[in-house]
Amino acid sequence: MNARPQARRTMFGALALTAATTLAGLTMIPAAQAAEGDAQLSVLHAVPGLTVDVWVNGERTLDDFTPGSLAGPLELPAGTYSVAITAADAADASSPAIGPVDLSLTGNTNYTAVAHLDASGAPTATLFTNDTSTTPAGDGRLTVRHVAAAPAVDVLAGGTPVITNLANPDEKVLDLPAGTLSVSVAATGTTTPVIGPADVPVTEGVNTIVYAWGSLADGNLALATQTIDGLHASPAGVPAGEVGLADTGSGNGPAMGVAAAASAGVLALGAVLYRRRSGAHADR
Amino acid sequence: MTLQPRSSRPVTTSRPRVLAVTGLVAAVLVACSPSAGPSDPADPAPTASTAPAPEAPAVVLPQDIPVRVADDASTAPVPAPARLVVADLDVDMAVIGVGTEADGTMTLPASAADAGWYRFGSAPASPSGTTVLASHVDTRAEGLGPFARLREAQVGTAVSVTDEDGTVHGYTVSSVDRIAKTNVPLDEVFDRDGPPRLVLLTCGGAWDASIGHYEDNVIVTAVPDA
Repeated sequence: MNARPQARRTMFGALALTAATTLAGLTMIPAAQAAEGDAQLSVLHAVPGLTVDVWVNGERTLDDFTPGSLAGPLELPAGTYSVAITAADAADASSPAIGPVDLSLTGNTNYTAVAHLDASGAPTATLFTNDTSTTPAGDGRLTVRHVAAAPAVDVLAGGTPVITNLANPDEKVLDLPAGTLSVSVAATGTTTPVIGPADVPVTEGVNTIVYAWGSLADGNLALATQTIDGLHASPAGVPAGEVGLADTGSGNGPAMGVAAAASAGVLALGAVLYRRRSGAHADR
Repeated sequence: MTLQPRSSRPVTTSRPRVLAVTGLVAAVLVACSPSAGPSDPADPAPTASTAPAPEAPAVVLPQDIPVRVADDASTAPVPAPARLVVADLDVDMAVIGVGTEADGTMTLPASAADAGWYRFGSAPASPSGTTVLASHVDTRAEGLGPFARLREAQVGTAVSVTDEDGTVHGYTVSSVDRIAKTNVPLDEVFDRDGPPRLVLLTCGGAWDASIGHYEDNVIVTAVPDA
């Protein structure tokens, strides 16, 4: 199953856009419908101080995209897309600040493309694949990505390192019991926070992706978060009895028909061992 | 140059392929970072080639792409349910949040006097999905519990659930079912995306002493009052 990001239902059609984002008045082809087998792409702007336009295949696709913003998810057919990032309101994509770069997207895969500073402070871009596999029962997923102009870091939860020596532009993925972590980021081998502490929820069935971004030298390191939900599995059952005192046997009750229970849809439509519907009256 | 994405595996540290950037423009950057100048590309992607990029497919790009501030993890939690009342069945119980056992089944409160709310799913105040409340039909210590009376619910029976913040949610029973456990549509019962509704769940049917379980689940479904 391809788990869907949180905002999938708002991909096309009328949406609540932030004030900073309006499409330029280009003649755009009407939105395509999402198709089975599409890739899903989000775009994170993690370069401080630059408001940009993002061009895809030569078309201005994101206008006045501000640092700390997350666009998408876009559903795109598998294929290769040329992406360029220019100053806001550039006339075209001929003088990009970042790119042009080609993103190769595989179908049924969930990606985040991140514009960010590399470890030495130069703008760059990295394409990450998001882990949308089913989470273990009761667990959430925490993904941490180092996309800051800073040396390698440790990620601490409640003061204890849970990730060590994470460098730009690497990531680490952990499945953890659901709960809230007090997360801080420190230079590797130290515990003094350079970011945080900040509460980060580990939510059952959700991949919470935390980005450490900005510049250590400029004093603007920060955390950005992106969540992808729908990764949970339903419980395996509800064993709600211990003794057998409520045993009514396998047969039918009064005024009930006997029927083999059907499978999917049975709550609404299927044959069940007994059912009361509007108008039915059962004898006690 | 083409970026091959790095696919991550659980509990690993991974290094995604860095895009080999071209065309960095110093003018834009100098204003932001005095030390910046034309810089060399980062480590070239191992599969980078100097061939021109393949022709972009004729793809219809989406309009109205949603953009948000990247603080998804800051969503406020929804109030938890705290009390369940079904007056016609003389049910008036505390509700406690529960999760799953190691075997993946829903945790049940130890006492049949308490109803367990599946806390990973929807709550009455959630915009979508099913609030699932389950309780033991009987326990060794207590005998039959209040949920033993669920099978007596009627279509039209009134149900109310009160949240921890005092909000009262009213529901009306729409169906009462007893279904063999092997046939219970668990994904439907524990749905999180469909219309808001309430499911009260316990065990029933034949007791199989050899395995210590009932054969069936009794499932009462209720829809929110307008």
